[in-house]
Amino acid sequence: MEVTVTGLNALAFPHMHIWDWRVALYLFLGGLSAGLAVMAAVLHLRKNGELVEGEAASWIAPLCVPVVLGLGMLFIFLDLEHKLNVYRLYLTVQPLSPMSWGSWGLLAFFPLSALFVLATLPERLYGWLMLDSLRNLARRLTESVRIIAFINLLMGIFIGIYTGVLLSSFVARPLWNSSILPVLFLLSALSAGAALMIIVSRSLAAKLFFTKLDIFLIAAEMTVLPLFFYGQYTSSSAHRASILPFFAFTHEYLWFGSAIILLGVIFPFALVLKLLEIREGHVTALTPAVLFRMNLSAALVLLGSAIVRFAFVYAGQLSHYL
Amino acid sequence: MPRYAMVIDTRRCISCMACVVACKAENDVAPAHFRTRIREEISGTFPDLRAETRSELCNHCDNPPCVYNCPTRASYKNEETGMVLLHKNKCIGCKACIAACPYDARYVDPVKGVVDKCTFCDHRIAAGKQPACVATCVGGSRVFGDLDNPNSSVSILLRQHPSEVLLAGAGTEPRVFYIKHYRTPR
Repeated sequence: MEVTVTGLNALAFPHMHIWDWRVALYLFLGGLSAGLAVMAAVLHLRKNGELVEGEAASWIAPLCVPVVLGLGMLFIFLDLEHKLNVYRLYLTVQPLSPMSWGSWGLLAFFPLSALFVLATLPERLYGWLMLDSLRNLARRLTESVRIIAFINLLMGIFIGIYTGVLLSSFVARPLWNSSILPVLFLLSALSAGAALMIIVSRSLAAKLFFTKLDIFLIAAEMTVLPLFFYGQYTSSSAHRASILPFFAFTHEYLWFGSAIILLGVIFPFALVLKLLEIREGHVTALTPAVLFRMNLSAALVLLGSAIVRFAFVYAGQLSHYL
Repeated sequence: MPRYAMVIDTRRCISCMACVVACKAENDVAPAHFRTRIREEISGTFPDLRAETRSELCNHCDNPPCVYNCPTRASYKNEETGMVLLHKNKCIGCKACIAACPYDARYVDPVKGVVDKCTFCDHRIAAGKQPACVATCVGGSRVFGDLDNPNSSVSILLRQHPSEVLLAGAGTEPRVFYIKHYRTPR
């Protein structure tokens, strides 16, 4: 059957472009901070904290978490149309609204990540803490660093999933309305966190550990992404149409086609680079060439993670039922 | 308690857009935005085509995804009338309700910075009048009334003719019903 839909008064048709780069950036930065919190916690928890010895990432990574999270929260705040009413989020709990429990989650995550910073800050840097009470608190928290790391790990997973659930709960947007999306976003967040850990860590042992971890995460992401598209393709006609922007390769959908091509290049390339690094794992010194390769592969993973968020936020708004 | 609903008889719609204009004037709808619209849908294979003109607006769903997704309870379902309405003073403009609505019935008022939508002209109903779009409909395509009153025009129409709702599969249980063809007389 041939079906044509033409608007009689195109002017009266709805403007469906609601979320822009600010939301995409928030989802990326929120996911990155969540992934980084998980990876920083893993650094502290693994092998009774063996990897922490002399490793600057043990305090730099926790320090980056609230900074990146705060930046992400700034962008979601900037996206609100009525910013003065933002306190209304915290006057109620709406269990069916992911944005409600997400905003409560962020409210909990931010101070918990700040406690992680205090617990991991080396004593020589206590001068940064302006107040005596903060210095005393930091000293006391150092004894419970593993418990705080574990709580941050759980919160990181929660926030990583939440960024995906936020989009997947909308029945009206077929591209987002998939239970695979939160899994994809969590994997992407963890992978980005591991990539940032590779960049900020100094020791070869830590870099190689997170490289190995990232290999598994990228491989999982590369498995879940095609499965997501397969699930959409085999679902209803609206779900099938929702992935059209990624595979139409027309000028209208240039950015979405480019995104899928870039992802198809970035992730395998980063994976190969990382596998090569593992093969060279026996080296005792980090030469500039090795460092460059490690940082390049990590930067590629971060770029891929950002592309996933931007592509999905924009393409989801093109998908509809009516 | 009344259970308000709208019936749209697509065969009576002449696409005059009077409802669009009346709604805009009555509710002071922001420039470049509309609470209702007319959609023309042509289906079939040439030359056997069928054209349908259909007004669309907020469906005041009984299972409203916009209400469920609102993080501040700004969007709510009025328990007395069943209408989906907004506490504008609680709206933060996060736009989750716009993304959640399968009928694309909501928009951000660029002047007030809050989300807005059709209210079934609740201020007119409180004054004992019909919604502006219904009152102005020259073809008698739009009919408004109480589903709980068996003698209301909507109840009679829904009894007499087969009706449909938009996107029934979405499970939103809309309160806007469409009559697309009449029952064959016995």
